[in-house]
Amino acid sequence: MNLQDVVATLQRYWSERGCLIHQPWDAEVGAGTMHPETFLRVLGPKPWKVAYVQPSRRPADGRYGQNPNRLYKHQQFQVILKPAPADVQDVYLGSLVALGIDPAAHDVRFEEDNWESPTLGAWGIGWQVLLDGQEITQFTYFQQAGGIDLAPISAEITYGLERITMYLQDVDDVYKLRWSNDTLYGEVRQEEEFQLSRYSFELADTELHRKLFDSYLAEGWRTLQAAGGRCMLAAYDWALKSSHAFNVLDARGAISVSQRAGMILNIRKLACAVAAAYVAPPAEAKTGEAARG
Amino acid sequence: MAEFLLEIGCEEIPASWLPGLGAQLRERFSEIAGREVLPASHVRVLWTPRRLVLAAELPERQADQESVVWGPSLKLAQDQAGQWTGAAQGFARKNGTTPEALQLAAKDAAAPEERYLRFIRKTTGRPAMDVLPSMLAATLRSLSFPKRMNWDAWLDDGKGAFAFGRPIRWIVALLAGQVVPFTIYASTAGAKAGAILHAGDETRGHRFLPRGAAGGPIRVASLADLQAKLPAAFVMLDPNLRSARIGAGLASVGAAVAKDHAVIEEWRDLVEFPSVVAGGIPAEFHSLPREVLETVLVHHQKYLPIVSAGSVTRFAAVTNTEGGSAAAGMVRGMERVVVARLRDAAFFYAEDRKRPFGDRVHDLAGVTFHHKLGSYRDKTERMARLVDAMGSQMGLLTKPEHEAAREAALLAKADLTTLMVREFTELQGVMGGIYLRAEGARESVITAVSCHYQPVSIEPGSAPAGRFAGSDATIFSAVSLADKLDTLAGYFGIGLMPTGSSDPYGLRRAAQGAIRVLLDFWKAAEGEARPSLRRLVAAAVAGYGSTTAQPAADTASDLEAFLLERLRFVLVARDYPPDEVEAVLGAREPDALDDVHESRVRLEALHLVRSEAREHFEGLAVAFKRARNILGDGAPTTTKPELLAEPAERALDAAVEALAGRNGDYEARLRALATLREPVDRFFDDVLVMAEDPQLRANRLGLLARTLSLFYRIADISKLGGQS
Repeated sequence: MNLQDVVATLQRYWSERGCLIHQPWDAEVGAGTMHPETFLRVLGPKPWKVAYVQPSRRPADGRYGQNPNRLYKHQQFQVILKPAPADVQDVYLGSLVALGIDPAAHDVRFEEDNWESPTLGAWGIGWQVLLDGQEITQFTYFQQAGGIDLAPISAEITYGLERITMYLQDVDDVYKLRWSNDTLYGEVRQEEEFQLSRYSFELADTELHRKLFDSYLAEGWRTLQAAGGRCMLAAYDWALKSSHAFNVLDARGAISVSQRAGMILNIRKLACAVAAAYVAPPAEAKTGEAARG
Repeated sequence: MAEFLLEIGCEEIPASWLPGLGAQLRERFSEIAGREVLPASHVRVLWTPRRLVLAAELPERQADQESVVWGPSLKLAQDQAGQWTGAAQGFARKNGTTPEALQLAAKDAAAPEERYLRFIRKTTGRPAMDVLPSMLAATLRSLSFPKRMNWDAWLDDGKGAFAFGRPIRWIVALLAGQVVPFTIYASTAGAKAGAILHAGDETRGHRFLPRGAAGGPIRVASLADLQAKLPAAFVMLDPNLRSARIGAGLASVGAAVAKDHAVIEEWRDLVEFPSVVAGGIPAEFHSLPREVLETVLVHHQKYLPIVSAGSVTRFAAVTNTEGGSAAAGMVRGMERVVVARLRDAAFFYAEDRKRPFGDRVHDLAGVTFHHKLGSYRDKTERMARLVDAMGSQMGLLTKPEHEAAREAALLAKADLTTLMVREFTELQGVMGGIYLRAEGARESVITAVSCHYQPVSIEPGSAPAGRFAGSDATIFSAVSLADKLDTLAGYFGIGLMPTGSSDPYGLRRAAQGAIRVLLDFWKAAEGEARPSLRRLVAAAVAGYGSTTAQPAADTASDLEAFLLERLRFVLVARDYPPDEVEAVLGAREPDALDDVHESRVRLEALHLVRSEAREHFEGLAVAFKRARNILGDGAPTTTKPELLAEPAERALDAAVEALAGRNGDYEARLRALATLREPVDRFFDDVLVMAEDPQLRANRLGLLARTLSLFYRIADISKLGGQS
């Protein structure tokens, strides 16, 4: 099964189980959780089921296209089930079967691994799913997002697409993965990995990124607080941008231990304010669920 | 009696929680059953990651209970004409009866003539089946978890929302084979909604086995039935049986369990049906340092290294499978993960060794320790100066020890610049040791660099115990202390001390590590100088010069208070009674921070002598609390013999005089001091301390103060409580 077959299979599987199939968010994010269809939709009482691929950028993990396992940008397949159904683990395991993995012929385990995103004020309880010792999925019951206690609780299922496909194809080098039947992952992405790594480790202008970081946050707050409200979705994009600027600075080694905590806190404050505005009753804020229809 | 069987079927519970949860389940259920007058016997608990099981014998119903309700006294209950008063009528009405039906009895055997109305309330015991639903709810609520989660669940026990460790997916609750009615509801918008699950008589087997027939419900009637049926469904309920199967599996793949890898303990509770498999490690990685291989295998993958001919050539892993022929494909997957990680490690190891290790000391200038406290280069130089102070000013190190410790301090952090430590941060220190060994450095320097982040745990006997011989222990101690005290002095100096439960820089651990070095590792021979934590703190604070915001004196006194608090914590954690720790640390001199090792010697002596003469010490503690209250602090300790008027005060004076010059070890002195109890008690009984005559009063206060001062050199006895 090639990479695009894996994506197509998961999309079909989750679509058949009632998920809306969304598209990747069109801004740089570090994980599928940051996509507003996860971060904001898990807030509040309304049920929601969604699945999508999310390319996730982690500048510090870049390896110039030379490490067979580590990538600046990898692809996550993200599923949100809100509320989490009682058979959620079984439904997830069904998706492995759909990918051709027979759990009875492998060692498939749920091992404790809780998830936390300090920049989003979000955390959850859950496991990493191990397939013969390889982590293929992060499985989380969200407890908080944007600093807000969640009810109902959402289940988040995040597949590492490269990892799973490497397993299915029995290859040790991500760049040797078959993306389609006639094209390798390396042909599509290796040069991009080199250039993005080069940029974030060597070229990124740290002074500019510091200014960007501050400006993004300021613009986020200005947007959020605009008269008439109803602009928290736009403000959230600025929070995402500030998070990426932070990641670039971090990869450049331009952030000290103590600065780090302060910068993360500043992103979190904006993300939490966005979340609070999102759940505020429409009458008060003229925004939120109502605004999104 | 009837068997009660409870199985709480959960999504996978973290392995490390399970033994504790098993113990809690047993204790909490027994407590609750006792409270409900259904005393449980033969309580057993068993578990796997997906289930907690309890079985107990319970009475079939609660015993009938009688309780006495006392009413008004006869005097108030009847008027002079012998008629029932309003009080009597009211009491009877409240208990659903008439005054004539009440009993009259004496409350106090010593006053049989004072009789009161009383009502005997009879409660008929309820059948266990009726009581169990609420016991079940109470038991589930009573379990505590390192982290609990909301899962939109609700219990109908009046408390509502129900958090737990992981979602519960089924419950077997049977009394003598009959289902105990119990329901977990969903909660929606903070209110009770439909049922999530009802307790029943159906358990589940392994998630995936037997192949093609897994997952279906299995009806059970009792613990014996559950234990008989689960093995066919590939669930080994008994942790001990799983351990035995793991042991046999390890033997079958030729893995000798040489070291007590905690990982094997963890294996037992990671799976329901353990099958051990073994994979190979390609020859190209055999020459990697053992610590690197173990980190990749044990810490990252929870695999066990198998050693043959001195190198790690294979690994063993536990799977939650049948094992056997199906294992080959799984092992292939595991090997792939291991190879990917080892390939990274081998690359880093080779890259790192392309430069002399010592050169990396210069690179530390580019690694920030803390932006207000400078780089790691600055830190290692401060550490070296602190070692110098230990050597030359404090006379704690011999010349060779001083030289080795100084070298180790300068090199201690150099491995932070290696690729290996950047990737495997848990190998900090250890990699430094490995690279130094490869370059033929001295053993004392290697072990000091390698271990200087330790001790991390406060357990006596934990790492790095047993790593050193002779003066190597002192060299390690000097470097480890220099590192920890420098960190503490720096962070305290810029006001970043821990608050509440928040300790982001690990300062409590650093302080406890420093204390453990002094308690367990810095072994000074008789007559050799022992390190004073107070002087070391002063030197560490001085090491920052004027770079920190706080005045040095404030930093030092804050840090001393913090270290004293941590010393108290470590000693109490080592099972010394808190009041004895308090008494020893409260002594005015010797000062505990001046000689930590010595304070423990005193504590041991106090503990021993007090346990021999508990009564004397209790009496002395009471008397000394009184004395302290009278004296306050700083009373003069002089007495004039000619002013001693009463026999009791002359006796106390004589006893104090006899003991004053006494030397010898703490035990002997404490034993002698215990004999003061009698004259002290007599003094307080017979003598009016606060005499009208100011001269007499001053003399008596002086005598008390002198008596107290005998103890202050060992322990503040007034801190001892009556009970513990």
